Amino acid sequence: MSETMTNTMTNTSKFARFMRRTGKNFSQFWRQLARNKLAVLSLALVIVFALVAIFADLLYEYDFVTSNSLENALLKPGESGVVYYHEKDIEHTFILGSDNYGRDILGRLVHGARVSMIIGFATVAISFMVGGILGAVAGYKGGLFDTFIMRATDILLSIPTILLAIAIVAALGNSFFNLIVAISTSMIPGYIRIVRASIIQVKDQEFVEAARCIGAGDLRIVLKHIMPNITSPIIVQSTLNVGSAINWAASLSFLGLGILPPKPEWGNMLSEAREFIQYAPHLLFAPGLTILLTVLAYNLIGDGLRDALDPKLKR
Amino acid sequence: MEKILEIRDLEVQYFSYRKVTKAINGLTLDLKAGKVLGLVGETGAGKTTLALSILNMIRSPQGKIMKGSISFSGKDVLGMSKQDLRDMRGKDVAMIFQDPMTALNPVLTVGEQIAETVMKHEGLSGEESWKKAEKMLETVGIPADRAKEYPHQFSGGMKQRVVIALALACNPKLLLADEPTTALDVTIQAQVLDLMRTLIRDNGTSVLFITHSLGLVAENCDEVATMYAGEIVEYGSIDQVFGGPLHPYTKGLFGSLPDLSEITDRLKPIPGLMPDPTALPEGCFFSPRCPHAMDICAKKHPVDIDLGGHRVKCHLYTAETGARSQA
Repeated sequence: MSETMTNTMTNTSKFARFMRRTGKNFSQFWRQLARNKLAVLSLALVIVFALVAIFADLLYEYDFVTSNSLENALLKPGESGVVYYHEKDIEHTFILGSDNYGRDILGRLVHGARVSMIIGFATVAISFMVGGILGAVAGYKGGLFDTFIMRATDILLSIPTILLAIAIVAALGNSFFNLIVAISTSMIPGYIRIVRASIIQVKDQEFVEAARCIGAGDLRIVLKHIMPNITSPIIVQSTLNVGSAINWAASLSFLGLGILPPKPEWGNMLSEAREFIQYAPHLLFAPGLTILLTVLAYNLIGDGLRDALDPKLKR
Repeated sequence: MEKILEIRDLEVQYFSYRKVTKAINGLTLDLKAGKVLGLVGETGAGKTTLALSILNMIRSPQGKIMKGSISFSGKDVLGMSKQDLRDMRGKDVAMIFQDPMTALNPVLTVGEQIAETVMKHEGLSGEESWKKAEKMLETVGIPADRAKEYPHQFSGGMKQRVVIALALACNPKLLLADEPTTALDVTIQAQVLDLMRTLIRDNGTSVLFITHSLGLVAENCDEVATMYAGEIVEYGSIDQVFGGPLHPYTKGLFGSLPDLSEITDRLKPIPGLMPDPTALPEGCFFSPRCPHAMDICAKKHPVDIDLGGHRVKCHLYTAETGARSQA
């Protein structure tokens, strides 16, 4: 037992030193990424959003952003009103205005970040893991594995994604976790197809045969020799999916599945705001622009990552 | 002399829809330790398939080794376990691929690719194997600090040298060089061959040198085997084969080279094409193209005839008398 422990330990440090020696350390990667100003800006934005999500309770109390005060309904951005909260009247400035129940929009955005950021990130991570492994097996092994996995994927793809998600949430019950499972499941087929197609493209190239002929095993070939060659389609797919995931979560909330009011969620806020588009367009703009910014930031980070990871673009 | 590689009666076939491609047909070949054996033959003769068979890397289910045996320093390659095969590949038997442009992984630095092999086969630490990789690169004339660069930053000739460094990194006992210079231009060819010769001599590596250039064979090899339609039709030392080729096919190959001592308008190619490997002729595979074909050639497949170490597969010769008839 202790022997295997030390063995794995030396292996990791061996690997770490190896990575340092080969110049593939983090600082070089960071320098590469830092050349892309937009990507750095986007990364900063995503980090700010994540921090806001983590410290949401310090900025606005949860009860405050979920309780109604109808006398302050539909205030314009910057207007202030008196809110009866904790059995007291408080003078409060609504920086981004208030919604139809008189709730602070900025406060709801801040708390909504928790849900939306997690959904965007977790669904992509889960579907990439599952879809990536299945796609890699299908593409690399071929034969019966391939047929079985791909036909199963075709079946999943034949159901419209949103319907599939609805069916899953309906079947598993309404909870945040199930919402993530549902959205991830609907994204998995896309990853399977992309990873499989890319692997098939790469696996017959001579360097893979060369790797096998110096004694590399299947796992090493897939992880070390093939995967780095197919990062760009995967990154593009993933960054686009972050946006879709937030939107799908919104659609499901709108249908009464997933995140239910009064719990704030960006997509949820967006769909509630549609009724007031004529009288209070700021209700729509606030969450809409936030979603737009997040998706855009993820896409730009993706572009930056892709360029930083491509050795041909290294200067 | 000790034999490092013994191939007996090897048969490899590829299967496609309703067709069977007979790539190698009853091939028997020996390679003596420390020698360089040149394997010449046209495109499609099965040269690369032979090299892959030696590593037991014929891709299933399309390809299959039907029968025969390959033994590498006494060990049965075709019966080895997966793990033993992986240990053998790269360490004991290494291969140089035809095209250096595609044989290197574009997203890994060349140093990493060499160090990976060394780390796996020699059990060195990351740092040691990296140093070894740098040393190997220097051996092939590439500055050590370029180990951190990616394949696209090298020229074709340098890439092939990287591939050679990679193949020789673990001091293999047997090197399979599959047309190592075909993708390079002539000046670089000479450089690369020179380098290979030095490294091979220094390490005492045995080499199977696959090529279709007789000139390269004459310059680099100790022995030569002519391959046609998946079998060895003639085998002998360089002096024997270049001094007096026996098989009409080998003669044809020599005949299709330009002769500097006479004025010629046209070269004399061998008429016809290689037989379709999905429908090989009965009897001798070369008989439809052979200028000396006799009745028996179309009916009976010739057997190996040993004439003092110079072996030939042709009905023109018999074991007792040497030449039966020189038509």
